[in-house]
Amino acid sequence: MSKDKEKLFSKQNRALLTDPLDDNNPITVQVLGICSALAITVKLEPAVVMTLSVIFVMGSSNMIISILRNIIPNRIRIIVQLVVIASLVAIVDQFLKAYAYDVSKQLSIFIGLIITNCIVMGRLEAFAIGNGVWKSFLDGVGNALGYGWILIVVAFIRELFGSGELFGIPVIPQFIYDLGYTDNGLMLLSPMALIVVGVYIWIQRYFNRKLIEKD
Amino acid sequence: MNRDSNKHTYLFAAIMVITIAFVLSFTSESLKELKADNIKKEKMQNILSAVGINVSRDESEELYTQYIIEELSLTNNGDIDNAVSAFNINLALEIKKDINTQRFPLYVANVDNNKYYIIPLRGNGLWNAIWGYMALKEDINTIKGVSFGHQAETAGLGAEITQDWFTNSFVDEKILNDNGDFVGVYVTKTNNDPENTDKNDNEVDAISGATITGDGVSDMIKERLEKYLPYFNNITNE
Amino acid sequence: MEDLLNIFVKSIFIENMVFAYFLGMCSYLAVSKTVKTAVGLGGAVIFVLTITVPINYLLNEYLLKPGALKWIGPQYQDVNLDFLTFIMFIAVIASMVQLVEMIVEKFSPTLYSELGIFLPLIAVNCAILGGSLFMQTKDFINVFESSVYGLGSGIGFFLAILAIASIREKIRYSNIPEPLKGLGITFIICGLMAFGFMSFMGIKI
Repeated sequence: MSKDKEKLFSKQNRALLTDPLDDNNPITVQVLGICSALAITVKLEPAVVMTLSVIFVMGSSNMIISILRNIIPNRIRIIVQLVVIASLVAIVDQFLKAYAYDVSKQLSIFIGLIITNCIVMGRLEAFAIGNGVWKSFLDGVGNALGYGWILIVVAFIRELFGSGELFGIPVIPQFIYDLGYTDNGLMLLSPMALIVVGVYIWIQRYFNRKLIEKD
Repeated sequence: MNRDSNKHTYLFAAIMVITIAFVLSFTSESLKELKADNIKKEKMQNILSAVGINVSRDESEELYTQYIIEELSLTNNGDIDNAVSAFNINLALEIKKDINTQRFPLYVANVDNNKYYIIPLRGNGLWNAIWGYMALKEDINTIKGVSFGHQAETAGLGAEITQDWFTNSFVDEKILNDNGDFVGVYVTKTNNDPENTDKNDNEVDAISGATITGDGVSDMIKERLEKYLPYFNNITNE
Repeated sequence: MEDLLNIFVKSIFIENMVFAYFLGMCSYLAVSKTVKTAVGLGGAVIFVLTITVPINYLLNEYLLKPGALKWIGPQYQDVNLDFLTFIMFIAVIASMVQLVEMIVEKFSPTLYSELGIFLPLIAVNCAILGGSLFMQTKDFINVFESSVYGLGSGIGFFLAILAIASIREKIRYSNIPEPLKGLGITFIICGLMAFGFMSFMGIKI
């Protein structure tokens, strides 16, 4: 009897990509990866570049660890994971310095902090070390998308209300400024990111009751 | 082979280290020129914007060679040191050297038949370093323009030093006072000249909420420009 | 001496790891809600930061920076190994944490069991790597300045999570809307505290 091979984008596999967007969001539910999420969400552009970098790092690291999962010696498992992540991040950093110099200056040390981003290591330990390559890849990308989604939402709000722009392009028509509206400078300060995420969690749990913490 | 055996562990570690060292070095080396190029072009862009020529990074190299006619490395006595390339001086490191070994880069520009002297600046803002370029007209008194940059000043406050409204207030200000003594330009809250019409007061308006950054700019201008006075005295006395 | 004091105070209040840069909160927010565990985590972070920042400073000065290798010989002036930064820093941090773990286990088994999972978790704490990466951008002139920076950052982190933990303990009995309870309100409180810390910005020492 031949085993039915699971389709590439079967329901289970699609869930790996979509669950982290809401039900299992790395930032608002698993509470991982907050660190770098906040200081770089002043404008949309760095947030998008960070998301793409994290997708690359998580997708690749999940794949690599999954491929090697049967030959990594147990004693050095954590170190191997750390080294793989650090190398991928170093590669991303080099490419940014070469091809996206302005954004790399804005991101500064936060690219390096992808290494200690709990999500990356967390998914390696929780998933990639025990699952197949394709599934691990999807899991990595899915979680990175969930992380990136929060970054982009926060950056969108902060850039729109803080500087009246999106991606550096002014979007609020002049007549609204003439009516007395001014850009909310508070949004440009980093503590605001925390507050925006707090409110997002409030709204998310209001609509998704099962996420509410039981004491 | 048992994956937890010593032999396997060492072999795995060794192969991993070698592979990663190779991959990283390869990436770094192949991208080296691009990275260095970005940094070089950014510097040229900043120097040009001090004389009011604002271009994208891609165009900066061509326009730099067109407008900048001389690059000089000066000693603190005002002599020219031909052995040191002015453009390659890393101001952050140079500024820490002993005053006698330090070299001071000076760029001479020719724009529409007018000569300008461009001086690199570096100092301390609130959080970290601030830097910039100041372009002086041929009289070595009137400012043609300035450009500023910073490492980590606060967005909306100290970071405003890079904005046009701030840099424009320096245009046509003088660095010498009425007696002909060097004083620099002060970023001050007591300017009493909101439209900045008085160009002989050696002052510009401070940024609200960014007093320390503003002070850093004033100090930076005074400290750096002072070092070029010996050279300027030499050439005006010729 | 004055410079050292300056760096010390700056790193505790003005450039607080938690309230200015929001580093190091993940593990804390996810794992614990009490003051006791906050003290444990904070103490461990102070220790690890104070050790790793100076070591990484020396590595950076003599190995990684562009031109750092000139002490071997002038022909190495142009070698730039900064692409190895991440790997070397993480390696130092992971080894130091391992070392600290072994020492604590040997000399104080009670402390070791109290710290529990926190010790290994510190190796991937953003604040530790962040401390070293920030140190790299700061141009310290000697290893003492960087040690003071490490110590100050650790203390700042400790004070911050202590404050957050105390507030979290107290609000357990407050009347907060269900969806906001726990994580949501903690984020908002941290944001407000961070705003408060911004008032330290104008201090000139």
